[in-house]
Amino acid sequence: MSDAIARTKTIELRVLRYRPLSDTEPVFATYQVPWSDDMSVLQALQSIKDAQDGTLTFRWSCRMAICGSCGMMINGDPNLACNTFIRDLAPAPITIEPLRNFPIERDLVVTVGDFVKKIESIYPYIMPKVPRSIADGSYLQTPAQMAAYESFSDCINCMLCYAACPQFGANPDFIGPGAMALLQRYNGDSRDGGQQARLDSIAGEDGVWSCTAVGVCSDVCPKQVDPANAINQNKTKSAFDFFLRLLRPGDGS
Amino acid sequence: MTQSGMIHTNPKRSLAPIFWLLFGAGGMVSALFGPALIVLTGGMLPHGWGLPANFADYAHVLGFVRNPIGKLVVLAVIALFFWHGAERVFLTLKDMRAGPPPILRVATYGVAALLTLVTLALLLAVGF
Amino acid sequence: MSERRPYRRAQPRDWWAHKPYLGYTVRELSGVGVALYGGMLLAGLICLWRGPDVFDAYRRFLASPLSLLIHVVLLAAMLWHVVTWFQTMPKTMPKLIVGGRHIPQKHLTTAGWVLAFICSAAMIATVLAVGALS
Repeated sequence: MSDAIARTKTIELRVLRYRPLSDTEPVFATYQVPWSDDMSVLQALQSIKDAQDGTLTFRWSCRMAICGSCGMMINGDPNLACNTFIRDLAPAPITIEPLRNFPIERDLVVTVGDFVKKIESIYPYIMPKVPRSIADGSYLQTPAQMAAYESFSDCINCMLCYAACPQFGANPDFIGPGAMALLQRYNGDSRDGGQQARLDSIAGEDGVWSCTAVGVCSDVCPKQVDPANAINQNKTKSAFDFFLRLLRPGDGS
Repeated sequence: MTQSGMIHTNPKRSLAPIFWLLFGAGGMVSALFGPALIVLTGGMLPHGWGLPANFADYAHVLGFVRNPIGKLVVLAVIALFFWHGAERVFLTLKDMRAGPPPILRVATYGVAALLTLVTLALLLAVGF
Repeated sequence: MSERRPYRRAQPRDWWAHKPYLGYTVRELSGVGVALYGGMLLAGLICLWRGPDVFDAYRRFLASPLSLLIHVVLLAAMLWHVVTWFQTMPKTMPKLIVGGRHIPQKHLTTAGWVLAFICSAAMIATVLAVGALS
């Protein structure tokens, strides 16, 4: 094609491979990849899969940093491969590994089942404060009410924050930043009445109290969700709830 | 059971909030007044900068500490500073995997509790 | 399904000593300085309880070069604690919406630093005033 951008430069990619049927442990494989200034790391991986090694396995979908599929460790930092560009990392070799703190299924694909269970465990839906029918019409919400939870609704479930969190690395049962961001998305929503149920679900050692405010989760988030804020404001709420529940009638929890 | 088949169980409540609130109170008091206290005990009081020579002598300090308000201030500052440090040392040692958490708790919270009692005892022992 | 054999990589024991976590570790260690200073104050209280001679020895220690050095080191730790405390504190608060707009966390951080300066300055000013009036 006459308007194709010529890929005349080559860069070295070191990719951590793992094939469960044949490897006892992960091992680095090195590829020389032709690149152009417009290429992302994702495109480089696709070029390896197309032209050099069709067995290379990785998740991807939208190519535009909204689906959350292509999270991986790029030169030791968690990043979306589609949102990381070769031109910013060249000419040094690029090291690519699967997301830290997760078990590796194969190559750059990690196990996500536990993360999904954590998301499900925090009641990820509006539990209306007051019962409402279709005949009542839609809810009204002011811009200020929406601003209270909006950033937490931007989460794309990419799990970069879990790769960044050393407390999740130490304790895989920690509910973690992404699930807490979703929790706060609902607890902060003026339509929702489920605050206490969600607070009760994260009052344990594996809930908010595994967090030590390291804060790197918010630094790596590609959508500026600020999960550190979601978790730490719930430490305050959980701490006050710890004492206030003694004053609450009846529930005995 | 919910629609998705998810069974929600409430996990065992952690006691961490007690220590976190003590850590927070100590952190705030030390953040607001810590620098002033260090300048006072490190410079102004021992060397009398801007102050009469006998300002922090035995009689005056004893008078302050015998006063009930003075006792509260001294207890709050010393105890909260220890509880603040205890939480941070506990979590840092846990990060470094220096030992099993229960032992680390005794070594940090236990020491802070002991020193709080010692402070209280001394404040009572100096009299009113 | 039977071909799965997930591989768990171990977390490095020294993760807290490397970027991006080293800053966090230094921040936490500044809190240790707070406790050490509390220890200095407790030492003074013990000396006070023991009587005028022992308390005067403590006062002489406070006036020594060693004490000055310790205080300088503890002041550095305390100041780092102040700086990092107010950087972290806004994370423990819900989003502040005033007049329909969200107040950025760095404004809260600056307000905290200003408040800390005012409080410490007021404490020193109060001590000077009491000294002048007595």
